[in-house]
Amino acid sequence: MQASRARLFKEYKEVQREKVADPDIQLVCDDSNIFKWTALIKGPSETPYEGGVFQLAFSVPEQYPLQPPQVRFLTKIFHPNVHFKTGEICLDILKNAWSPAWTLQSVCRAIIALMAHPEPDSPLNCDSGNLLRSGDVRGFQSMAKMYTRLAAMPKKG
Amino acid sequence: MQNQDEIPLEDEIESTTFDTAFETDDWSNYKDCDVLKQQSAIWEEDAAKFPFVGDKEPLSSLAAEYKSGSPILLEKIKVLNEQYAAIRRTRGDGNCFFRSFMFSYLEHIVESQDQAEVERIKTNVEKCRKTLQSLGYADFTFEDFFSLFIEQLDSVLQGNEDSISHDELIVRSRDQSVSDYVVMFFRFVTSGEIRKRSEFFEPFILGLTNTTVEQFCKTSVEPMGEESDHVHITALSDALGVPIRVVYLDRSSCDTGSVSVNHHDFVPASGDTSNASTKVSSVWVSECDVLRQTHCANGAVSNTLITILHIVLRFEVLDL
Repeated sequence: MQASRARLFKEYKEVQREKVADPDIQLVCDDSNIFKWTALIKGPSETPYEGGVFQLAFSVPEQYPLQPPQVRFLTKIFHPNVHFKTGEICLDILKNAWSPAWTLQSVCRAIIALMAHPEPDSPLNCDSGNLLRSGDVRGFQSMAKMYTRLAAMPKKG
Repeated sequence: MQNQDEIPLEDEIESTTFDTAFETDDWSNYKDCDVLKQQSAIWEEDAAKFPFVGDKEPLSSLAAEYKSGSPILLEKIKVLNEQYAAIRRTRGDGNCFFRSFMFSYLEHIVESQDQAEVERIKTNVEKCRKTLQSLGYADFTFEDFFSLFIEQLDSVLQGNEDSISHDELIVRSRDQSVSDYVVMFFRFVTSGEIRKRSEFFEPFILGLTNTTVEQFCKTSVEPMGEESDHVHITALSDALGVPIRVVYLDRSSCDTGSVSVNHHDFVPASGDTSNASTKVSSVWVSECDVLRQTHCANGAVSNTLITILHIVLRFEVLDL
C-alpha cells in the first residue's frame, strides 16, 4: 500500500514534467484519491480515430506496480480490442505481460499504438474484428469514424 | 455469436459513454479482469499450501516423491544425497529460479558474514543501475526494487541496528512485499544485462522464442511469473558476478554403467566475480518444470556459490 502510494506520487511528478513532451496525452490524478486517474488521449492521425479525444479511466490496485492498473475507455469506441459495452481493453501489458517497467504514461502510449494497430485476431468487439478479418477495411473505418464523430468529438452548435 | 447485441442500434448510438452495470449474466459480460481474479484465487489457494520458500527437508523426502517413478531418478537422488544434506522447496509460481537465488544468496551472506562479497556485489548492482539508465529506463520505475535489495543485503550482515537473524531471513523471504520486490529486482538486472549485450544474447533468444531481444525482455524477463531459462541464468550470473551451478535431475543415463548427475556451470563472463574456488556452496537449489517446485539444500561439496537443480520431467510422456 505504502509502496504503491510512493510510486504513484513519483509518477505524478513525472507526469507534470512530461506534459509538454507528450501533447497527445493528458493524464490527471483524482484530487482525493491517488489510486484513481483519468486520461484524455488524442486519436492517432491517419486512423479513423483522428480528431477524436478519448477518455480513459485508471483504477490502480494496492499491489501496483507489481500488478497492472485496470484501464478502460470511458468514451465509446469501435475497435476490435475494446469491449463495445464496457470499454475494457484487450492489451497484453495490462494482463500477463505487465511489468513495473511500465508507467501510467507509457500505458497511454501503448493504448494509442493499439488504436493505430488493431489486433483483429483477438477481438473483444467481434463485429469490429470480423470486418477487418474479412478484409472490409472500408466498412470498419466508416463504422469507427462514425463512432469517433458521435462520441469523441465536441458536439457542434 | 454472443455479441449480437453489439451490432449498433439506433437507440444505442445516443449513449456515448459506457454503461458499467451488467445487464445480463452472459459470457459477453465476463470480463478479462474476472479471469485475472479467478487466476489469482487459484494462486492464493496454492499459496496456502506452499510458502515462497519452504523448510529444510532431507533428500529422502524427494526420493519418496519419485518412489514409483523412474529408477534412474532415484539413483540420481541417491548420488545427490551423498553431496547435499537437505532440500528446501520454493513455490512454483514461475519466479522459482529468482526466488531460490535470492534466498540462497542472502543465506550465504548470513552464514558467511562476508563483508567483502557484499561490497563486491554492491558495486555490480550500481553498474546494473547505470545500465538501466543508459537503456532509457526511468529511475522511478526500478529504484524501489534496487533499494529493497540493498536493504536486505545490509540487514543480513550482523552488527548493524537493523541486522536480521537467519530465522528473520526466512520470514522475509516468505513475505510477499519483500520477496516479490527482490524477485523483481533480479528481473530488472537480468533484463538490463540481456539488452546491454544484445548481440551476444540474440542467437540464444532467437533459438528460444524467435523474437527480438527487446521483445523477449518485455514479455519473458520483466513480467513476474515468467519462467527462467538458460538465457536468464547466464545474464543474472554475469551481471552480479555470481557463479551458478545447475544440476539436471532427468532420466538420461550414461552407458558407462554408473549413474552420474549432469550439471552445467554458469561462470560469470568477466570482471568482478565472486571468488568461486574458495567458496563452498551452502545452499543447493532446484527447480522442477512439471511439478513446478523448487528445492534448495544445504550441502558440503561444491565449488560454486549457488547451485540450482533443474528437474526435467517435461518430456516423460513423449519418450515413448
